[in-house]
Amino acid sequence: MSRNSAAALREIGRNPLLRVLVDVAGFLILVAALGALLAHNTAALGYRWQWHRVPRYILTVRDGQLHAGPLLLGLGVTVRIVAVSLGVSIAVALATALLRLSQSTVGQALARVYLEAIRNTPLLVQLFFTYFVVAPIVGLDGWTSAVIALSLFEGAYASEIIRGGIVSLPAGQWEAAYSLGLGRRDALRFIILPQALRRILPPLVGQGVSLIKDSALVSTIAIYDLTMRGQVIVAQSFLAFEIWFSVAVIYLVITITLSALVAVMRRRLVGSYEH
Amino acid sequence: MSISSHHDAIITVSGISKTFPNGVRALDDVSVSIARQEVLVVIGPSGSGKSTFLRCLNGLETVDRGTIVVDGIPLDHDRSNRLEIRKEVGMVFQQFNLFPHMTVGENIDLAQRRVRGTSAADARTVSLELLAKVGLEERVDSYPARLSGGQQQRVAIARALALRPKVMLFDEATSALDPEMIGEVLDVMRALAAEGMTMVVVTHEMGFAREVGDRAVFIDEGRFVELASAQRLFDAPREDRTRAFLSKVL
Ligand SMILES: Nc1ncnc2c1ncn2[C@@H]1O[C@H](COP(=O)(O)OP(=O)(O)OP(=O)(O)O)[C@@H](O)[C@H]1O
Ligand SMILES: [Mg+2]
Repeated sequence: MSRNSAAALREIGRNPLLRVLVDVAGFLILVAALGALLAHNTAALGYRWQWHRVPRYILTVRDGQLHAGPLLLGLGVTVRIVAVSLGVSIAVALATALLRLSQSTVGQALARVYLEAIRNTPLLVQLFFTYFVVAPIVGLDGWTSAVIALSLFEGAYASEIIRGGIVSLPAGQWEAAYSLGLGRRDALRFIILPQALRRILPPLVGQGVSLIKDSALVSTIAIYDLTMRGQVIVAQSFLAFEIWFSVAVIYLVITITLSALVAVMRRRLVGSYEH
Repeated sequence: MSISSHHDAIITVSGISKTFPNGVRALDDVSVSIARQEVLVVIGPSGSGKSTFLRCLNGLETVDRGTIVVDGIPLDHDRSNRLEIRKEVGMVFQQFNLFPHMTVGENIDLAQRRVRGTSAADARTVSLELLAKVGLEERVDSYPARLSGGQQQRVAIARALALRPKVMLFDEATSALDPEMIGEVLDVMRALAAEGMTMVVVTHEMGFAREVGDRAVFIDEGRFVELASAQRLFDAPREDRTRAFLSKVL
């Protein structure tokens, strides 16, 4: 490298504005290159983009009335499964966390076995096990199987988050509660959990986002969620690029919305500590 | 070692020992009887077992051997006994341990409402009364983070008084405070003692200990080395170890 260009690079490294400009320019060049590559390759594949055919899969107008298209219907199923699984998984997580923190040896052992079993096998296998093995024996439908498998899976990870939040509180909080004559249950309910919640919430939201993404796997047991609808549409219309792109964007919108909502909620919660 | 007359004892400790799971013997065959309205001060070097002794008195620690009886109730594995005793024994910690997510008022209301089942309005009346006593009535709606250390500790004292306990335990209540705030907390403790509250006070404030204590005990390596009237212990210690300790801290 010539002395001049080395000096120029050093100059760029020193100037913060210049550094940002170079950074952004580099990114734009990369995007342009990828775009060109994509355009070139899709052209070579003979792929014809047909974005105008996509909206009808989201919303359709029939008899002058607006109807949800298959993608929106799928989104509805995904949201319902996620909402129910979220509730159940938090209950499972809380129960598991409390068992692990309890004095009961059996309770601790049960919780450990559950955690190890869930964390050391693939979610897809758990889903199949629930749907093809457990469900026929106890008579569950696909939807319930999906909720159970997802709840047990996310609950295992969420329980570690909750346990971490609880044990991170200073022991003095428990001792103050006990010294006032409160029992373990009241101490948890009024002192420990409300404070732990503030620490638990951010990582728990991350787990909720995982739940939304993982819920796509229920399409493998014939549940018409967003992903399954996408698959069906692609099979019928051959709009693979447009539909999978749209499906990805829909997932992205709900996960990002969730994160944003909780960020607002958290600011409120944390704010209330101080005045 | 002298033991005060038994018939008006509110706390009777007989031969308690405590070894932690890591093998540390924190208390070794300790006995003492504390009279109603008595102030017993506990002094000793760091790690000698002062906190452990105090925490055994309200069941925050369990003992391996020996017995503790508080106001006629044995402190054993019976949960309801332990609960009864905790209603009668208030505790103040070095680190205050206020509940940071609750206002000052809520901190003091909580035990009244959950343990005694007092109504919200009645609990708040009592809380305000107690806050007035520690000079912080107007801070009832503040969160603890907004108070100085001295104010937080005074709130913690008010909270410990919420169930109208018969005994108060203080574990180095002023050790975490800036020097200029120690006085306000000691004043509250002094006033409590003057009202006739039975108190067990672990402290490094030797002047205060001598002034407020009826009796004093010097504890070292988990043993009561010397137990005497506070004046006698501070002015004329008999044991070499007590003398050595006092010459270091006075
Ligand atoms: N939970 C515990 N587990 C294990 N060891 C402990 C525990 N609590 C206290 N100890 C040990 O027991 C001994 C007595 O501790 P304790 O806290 O009663 O001392 P202390 O006199 O209050 O000391 P300090 O003046 O530092 O507060 C110490 O050696 C301490 O390290
Ligand atoms: Mg201590």
